[in-house]
Amino acid sequence: MKNVRNANYVQIDHKAQISEEKDAVVLSSPEAYKRFKWTKEYFDKKPKEGYFIWVRKSLDHPLVTRISISSKNVSQNPANLVVIEENVNAEIYSVCNALKKNLGGDHAGYSKIILKENSRLVMTHFHRWGKRDVVSSNLDIFLGNGSEISDAYKCLEIPMRLNMENNTYLEEGASANLVITVLAKHGEVKMHDSTYLNGRGSRGISRIRMIGDEKSRITAHSQMIANDAGTGHVDCMGLLLAEGSSINAIPELVNNNKDASLTHEASVGKISEEVLNYLRSRGLTEDQAIDLVVAGFLGEEEPIVIEGQVIPLKPYM
Amino acid sequence: MLEIDNLSVKANGKDILKKISLEVKDGEICVLLGPNASGKSTLAYTIMGFPGYKVTEGKIIFNGKDITDLPIEERVKLGMALAFQHPPSIKGLKLSKLLEKICRQTIDTEKFPVSTDLLEREVNVNFSGGERKLSEIIQVISLNPGFVVFDELDAGLDVENLEKLSSLIKSELHGRSILLITHRGRILRHLKPNVAYVMMDGQIVCSSEDWKKIWETIERCGYEKCKECELRSDRP
Repeated sequence: MKNVRNANYVQIDHKAQISEEKDAVVLSSPEAYKRFKWTKEYFDKKPKEGYFIWVRKSLDHPLVTRISISSKNVSQNPANLVVIEENVNAEIYSVCNALKKNLGGDHAGYSKIILKENSRLVMTHFHRWGKRDVVSSNLDIFLGNGSEISDAYKCLEIPMRLNMENNTYLEEGASANLVITVLAKHGEVKMHDSTYLNGRGSRGISRIRMIGDEKSRITAHSQMIANDAGTGHVDCMGLLLAEGSSINAIPELVNNNKDASLTHEASVGKISEEVLNYLRSRGLTEDQAIDLVVAGFLGEEEPIVIEGQVIPLKPYM
Repeated sequence: MLEIDNLSVKANGKDILKKISLEVKDGEICVLLGPNASGKSTLAYTIMGFPGYKVTEGKIIFNGKDITDLPIEERVKLGMALAFQHPPSIKGLKLSKLLEKICRQTIDTEKFPVSTDLLEREVNVNFSGGERKLSEIIQVISLNPGFVVFDELDAGLDVENLEKLSSLIKSELHGRSILLITHRGRILRHLKPNVAYVMMDGQIVCSSEDWKKIWETIERCGYEKCKECELRSDRP
């Protein structure tokens, strides 16, 4: 299978294991806090668990982290810090999941990503949870002058409750392309993401793709705030598949600078009859047609295998 | 191949098609002409079994089987296909992915005047008129059908593209039965139908194996005159 990777940082429940990386420093956050005094500037308090990645030289392969819940009633509280130095390019896959469906775990993660001047990061987060888990995820991204991030979050198996809060701060000429994709079934998702265009020429795009399947409620509040002459776009799209479920999409534009330009688009609805009939006229059953539209909506990617574990990126097909 | 027998159809509570009878034989190209809103597309959707088109009378026979009540996908399985006039856009779904799912025969895309770029784009999203028609034809060919309805294939196509797509139909769907719905003459010169029907106000008012004669009359006098035309089949 393609996309087979070994993880640089693996945490099962509370126990962490690290594979050394030649061109980057990968440590547990408590170890980094002890070893590098400067990290205190970024950690709000002394971390108990979580990963620290410090990339000082461009990498020709992605780094991988995995934080998993494997036992019943575990309560994780990882504090993660990623620092990309000036003019450095990096790519990171980050997986957080429950290894079984009925563990009743609690995962409260806080991550901070620092991109220094003219650095670039492609970061992909995969979350996959059990029906009884409760998860909160906070992510702060700081983009220095001219830096770029492409950050994709994907969760196709949600916990009982998922709360996400993301904040992205862009300095001059920085750009952020942020995509959140969530498929909700038997659970509740609350997302709040804010992108702050704080520097001239900064560019932010925030895209949210959400699917409301059986017994689910999704609320997505996506803000684009221009404090300087930047451009920003918010795009919230929702597909509602089941009766009794709900999607509440709230795009918000706040412009505090007359030279900034902000736009948004939003739509929430079911798959149109017209589209379903069109696909049926190609020989697909209604269920196959729905699967195909949903899979397209969620994006096309190859599944990846991390430490022998297949991370499916699509729930259907 | 396809027989439509005394078919009446309601859509949105209105009687649209009234006692239509029409036959497309094996390997024949049959053209259905008619002005806007005469019921041509309603007939296309009814033939394919789209919900919302209620057959109140008559039946549709395909290869000897009554398919009047079959769902769309079952008709496709039997070898029927429709190229849409206005296909819907499907965000997120690439044309190549759709083809991969529906394909019943290997398609050599090099034969088609298509860039890989088109295949990697989302189905009908920001497609030009020509790209939409080409995408429809590729999909239909990939289904390897025995019978195809082309609904207004020529609408919005420039002369060169119409010629290219007509050649494609002739080469890739050679020997198949085709019902061609149009109200323009140019495509007829390319595809040379075996039979022509004229539909007005939901009724077949004329049919002939001499499509040129029918088309020349329409060109000369317009569809309104069809009501009084000497060729009209239901005239005494």
